Amino acid sequence: MAEQKKTVTFIIERQDSPTSAPYTQEFEIPYRPALNVVASLMEIQKNPVTKDGKKVAPVTWECNCLEKVCGACMMVINGKARQACCALIDELEQPIHLAPARTFPVIRDLLIDRSVMFESLKRVQAWVEVDGTWEVKDAPIQNPYTATTAYEISHCMTCGCCLEACPNVGPQSDFIGASPSVQAYLFNLHPLGKFDKEKRLNALMGKGGITGCGNSQNCVEVCPKNIKLTTYLAQLNRDVNKQALKNIFNK
Amino acid sequence: MINVSFYLRRLHSLCGLLLLGGVLIEHLLTNASAMGGPEVFNQGLEMMELIPAPIFLAIEICLYAVPILFHGIYGIVIALDAKNNTGSYGYSRNWKFALQRYTAWYMVAFLIWHVGYLRIYLKGIMGEHISYALVQSVLSNPAVFVLYALGMFAAIFHFCNGITTFCMTWGIAKGPRAQRVVDKMAMGLCALMCLLTLAFMFSYLA
Repeated sequence: MAEQKKTVTFIIERQDSPTSAPYTQEFEIPYRPALNVVASLMEIQKNPVTKDGKKVAPVTWECNCLEKVCGACMMVINGKARQACCALIDELEQPIHLAPARTFPVIRDLLIDRSVMFESLKRVQAWVEVDGTWEVKDAPIQNPYTATTAYEISHCMTCGCCLEACPNVGPQSDFIGASPSVQAYLFNLHPLGKFDKEKRLNALMGKGGITGCGNSQNCVEVCPKNIKLTTYLAQLNRDVNKQALKNIFNK
Repeated sequence: MINVSFYLRRLHSLCGLLLLGGVLIEHLLTNASAMGGPEVFNQGLEMMELIPAPIFLAIEICLYAVPILFHGIYGIVIALDAKNNTGSYGYSRNWKFALQRYTAWYMVAFLIWHVGYLRIYLKGIMGEHISYALVQSVLSNPAVFVLYALGMFAAIFHFCNGITTFCMTWGIAKGPRAQRVVDKMAMGLCALMCLLTLAFMFSYLA
């Protein structure tokens, strides 16, 4: 009896340039145990032939660490935003649909431009001033309980899942999304970073800031690092409201 | 920096929960008194008519018309910021997020009809006296009855889910457990208010 060869079928949404129209192509690759989406895309790259035998340009995507740390391979897999490197074929329903995260500008195929998030991080001043603005001396000690929270938030890899899943982030709105907002909280927790707390809260009060949150809470559902985004957004809401009262009454 | 959109959003939230929530509860209680029969309902309306007309009009404008117009018009701006995606992300909170917007759109149409016909046309222009008999005649049309029931359900859901999002937006319920409890309590209140609505609406038909 001839052995039935197991295969994996992909339906991939492709796009040749940032402005051209998207189209889909179907690919079939041989199955092997522990296969994930990135490894499958590598298989397609080796032999870029569609299911109906047409030779095409290999599918473009971005990946880097291959262990859910860098965030680069975020794409929409079977309708949900997630990391391709930890999307195991065994756990996915076939045919597997791959699409770029269209909340961001598409460069080509599954490759997107996530620089808008880095601009947002600049906007909320997601860093600690160590440029000699003030004396640091010995590094100040951080409350270990606060450090646990900071450690959790610092796992954020700016992958953009939370922005892709959020109904309020996209070309129709100016909301910066959960990830950059919550990074402001991370640096507000830092013993030196908290000196600039007011600046960050005022930045979050600006256009496209935290008021853009509509509490759909998709961010916390899709976050691959399980950061309690909605909890920190609620804390930031508290802080921003207090800051607003200060702005009104203390000046 | 003035941050206009921040203050508008917060005002939208306060106005919705406190003022329009009050309007909804006032409507529920007044109409619930119809279950006591026409006399009780009409007595309640007569009590309201004891308020001198200019003061009553001022209350209607300040506590009803202006908050509804502000909440409605700015609400449309907010609703247009969203691209509902319950198809891909069918989580309970995401559904409520989408429903908050769907009910809002229904309310826009419903309120134009409800206020336009009952308050502006019948009471304002025709000088009709609002009474048990009038409400009964309006609700005797089955299509109107269904559209009114839907209008009430939409307003009640929008208000109750608004309590949950208010608690998040103002940082009152922060952790997942607190938010879950508020959500469940608000949905419980929603069910109770919907049942009360059905009870008084059917009492008009009986």
